[in-house]
Amino acid sequence: MRTRQRLAVAVAALTLSAALAACGGGGSKISNANTVHGTPIHGGTVTIAEVGVSPNLIFPLLPSTNSNGYNVNLTEGLWPYLVYIGDGAKSAVNPQESLYSSLTWSHNDSVVTIVLKQWKWSDGVPITARDFTFVYNLLKANYNNWLGYIPGLFPVDVKQVLTPNSHTVVLDLTRSYNPTFYTDDVLSTIPLLPQHVWDRTSQTGPVGNYDETTAGAVAVYNFLQKVGTDMATFATNPLWQVVDGPWKLSAFNSSGYYAWVPNKNYSGPDKPLLSQVEWTPFTDDTAEMDTLRSGTSLDLAQVPANDLKQIPELEAEGYNVFEVPTPGVAEILPNLWPTGSGQAAGPLLRQLYVRQALEYLIDRQLLVSKVFDGYADPGNGPVPVDYGQQWDSAVEKSGGPYPYSPSKADALLKSNGWKVVPNGISTCIRPGTAAGDCGAGITAGQPLQFQLLYGSGTASFDQQNAAIQSSEDAGGIHITLKAEPFDTLVATTGTCNQQSHPSSACSWQLQQFGYIPYSSDPSGAGNFNTDAIGNYGGYSSPVMDNLIDATEYGSSPTAFFDYETYAAEQLPWLWLPLQAGVFVYKKDLAGITPTDPFQATLNPESWYYVKTSS
Amino acid sequence: MTWYLIRRVGQAIAVVLGVMILTFVLIHAEPGSTARATLGLKATPARVALFNRVYGLDKPIYDQFVIYVNNVLHGNLGTSYSLQQPVATLIAQRLPRDALLLGLSTLLALIIGIPIGIYQSLRHNLLVDDVLASTWFTLYAAPDFMEALLLIAVVCVQFHWLQPNFPGDITTVGGLLADWRALILPVVVLAINTVAAFSQYARSTAIQELASDYIRAVRAKGLPERLVVTRHLLRNSLLPVVTILGLSLPDIVGGAIIAEAIFNFPGMGLLFWQAALSHDFPILLGTTLVVGVATVVGNLAADIAYGVLDPRIRYAS
Repeated sequence: MRTRQRLAVAVAALTLSAALAACGGGGSKISNANTVHGTPIHGGTVTIAEVGVSPNLIFPLLPSTNSNGYNVNLTEGLWPYLVYIGDGAKSAVNPQESLYSSLTWSHNDSVVTIVLKQWKWSDGVPITARDFTFVYNLLKANYNNWLGYIPGLFPVDVKQVLTPNSHTVVLDLTRSYNPTFYTDDVLSTIPLLPQHVWDRTSQTGPVGNYDETTAGAVAVYNFLQKVGTDMATFATNPLWQVVDGPWKLSAFNSSGYYAWVPNKNYSGPDKPLLSQVEWTPFTDDTAEMDTLRSGTSLDLAQVPANDLKQIPELEAEGYNVFEVPTPGVAEILPNLWPTGSGQAAGPLLRQLYVRQALEYLIDRQLLVSKVFDGYADPGNGPVPVDYGQQWDSAVEKSGGPYPYSPSKADALLKSNGWKVVPNGISTCIRPGTAAGDCGAGITAGQPLQFQLLYGSGTASFDQQNAAIQSSEDAGGIHITLKAEPFDTLVATTGTCNQQSHPSSACSWQLQQFGYIPYSSDPSGAGNFNTDAIGNYGGYSSPVMDNLIDATEYGSSPTAFFDYETYAAEQLPWLWLPLQAGVFVYKKDLAGITPTDPFQATLNPESWYYVKTSS
Repeated sequence: MTWYLIRRVGQAIAVVLGVMILTFVLIHAEPGSTARATLGLKATPARVALFNRVYGLDKPIYDQFVIYVNNVLHGNLGTSYSLQQPVATLIAQRLPRDALLLGLSTLLALIIGIPIGIYQSLRHNLLVDDVLASTWFTLYAAPDFMEALLLIAVVCVQFHWLQPNFPGDITTVGGLLADWRALILPVVVLAINTVAAFSQYARSTAIQELASDYIRAVRAKGLPERLVVTRHLLRNSLLPVVTILGLSLPDIVGGAIIAEAIFNFPGMGLLFWQAALSHDFPILLGTTLVVGVATVVGNLAADIAYGVLDPRIRYAS
């Protein structure tokens, strides 16, 4: 669940069939408050289920060719990020857990001064500004081979890095930023790494200052990535034993099983009470559920989306249940520039009123209650209302601009030149571009129909899309469903826009990828601005571009809500409910809740067993 | 026999090469971008280009094939796109475990199936024969995932007699054997269908053999029935079973997807399945090559076993 926007691209792909768990939305069924009380016990092992995927790289800076987002799960407890996201149940910066003691913005928010805490590495050496410059030098020389790199952002947006003293770093940036955006979405993706141990080009070679030249930084980066893929030595290589997080890796095997033990020299506030945390791999949901139902070895696990109805049985087996919102947005992507067999849908989907009619005919509340058993965000707009309340605009809180309304959809279509045929296929009867006409490129008699592609293998998606098909059909919009394996969808469809829409990748009309993950600051950058790589359907609006820029680079306190409201109304994507994660944990385990989407199941330094439970 | 073996090995090499060419072409004919399938939705053009360069996907397909064959001849099956590990290592980790699991289930099926088949042939057309045949056909027809889930529900969830699947920290054959109780259910489930096949093949062959002249002759000579069965009938009834055994070798190395998934046993079957979903060409090519070799070896072994079991069909050089 600790998805970061950069790495979470892979997570989204990997988790669609397995980990995209159930949800909580309009009415949460499961409390996320701390429900376990008692006298803490020092020691004990917690075993966590890990379904379908496992880490394959221990070096925390992933190469561009390794999209396994679960590597973060292995490394973040060992080498945490400069900025720690997650404060109790809030998706917010946690200054106590972060590695900095102060972040000060100046020069019109183009310079940030970072003062590091007086913490130490596990070998007793102080953490200093040199550890930051080591990371910066490595990334500056290798950013094209860093999975976390977003074009234009860190490290290429840094004019210079100054270190006025051993614990202060000054980043002089090439432009002004919104401090909240930069802190939440950029500085929260940069770990500090032990220069005094890792600045080398071979396992046995001496440690130096190789990172200070480009060639040296490339050599160090390549060495660390190479040795970082050797699974057999993850737990034994002395390099990986020098950490600044609360945990050290004590075991790792090729199946994906791994274990953490406390870093006895951890400088942070939450010293682990547990003596060990284990991640045990499962091939799929069925194997995980069988283990949970047999009441044996698992202390914490995510309940598979298709097994939520078994929660009472799991409670009977000695588990508590909690729910965590998924940090992202669920959507149907409209392709505004389809070609080939899908070409006819382009003029239709470019019309805002058509997208509005489509959204009006999605009964999101019904989907939340019937498809997701109540465990889903309602999907009122681009920012989930369950995810981070500080981000919720008034229009999202009030249910979004397009609550389910067949009558409004009917009126919209009729007022734009359509003969609406409920439970049939509506047709355009007033082609043209004048007010009240169907719109540019739409011909007389053109049917109002689309094909919706989505990832196969998840029962809740099948049910959701069947329900959408039914309600759209009742409103006169015909939708054909086509399910394909998720990776096939990704491989065969591309980002399409007015300038580039090759038929090999752009014949799709509507597409549902499950959900698109967000980082801590859920801005639309990367999704809705004109040139964004995630703007798959080619939506383009100068207004939207300006509003998104204002959230990243401006200083207006209302910029985010302005963007959010506009995006909710303009429907670059159709909004859907978003499943949340539902987890179970042993009833004598405390400290797990409350938790936020970014730390769920991954902050065991806060957990402990208790002698008695209430 | 020596010339026969040389000829068969030559054929085997040609078959394996054919499998490699066919698999390579088919896999590369798959539509879509492998880089996008691996890197995900937000793969930038620069990242896609880097991926294609790193894995040689920017070269013409014939160049890629030549490089692939050259690597295979040097023992290099490539590196998995998604798992980022050498394919040979991935196969080496999984193959022994699958061989143990499927080998044990096959052995169990042989131990149970052949005596039952022979017994049924001796009780041909009696009630016990019908009951046993119906039972095995029913089990044969039942999906193995259903049998697995039912057994888990009863044995593990209801009565907590056994653990439902393999602990994730066990990766070696030695570890599996040490935790032998976890092997019981998957071995039993995998054996159920195979028992049905072995027993019914043995039964039908034994019924034919019982009507043969040599059986009548040894019985007329007064040989005890126990010796008729063990010395004469059993050996001649094994020929079709040998065929099945030879053909099951690729199954043994190819894994069992459903059992692997349900019993948390990451093996060759799941490796191939997940690779197929994610366009992981090196794994697809590597596992197909291993299964292809196993198929050829299995057929060869079956042919040789024919000769051992039946001198009439022993091949002269």
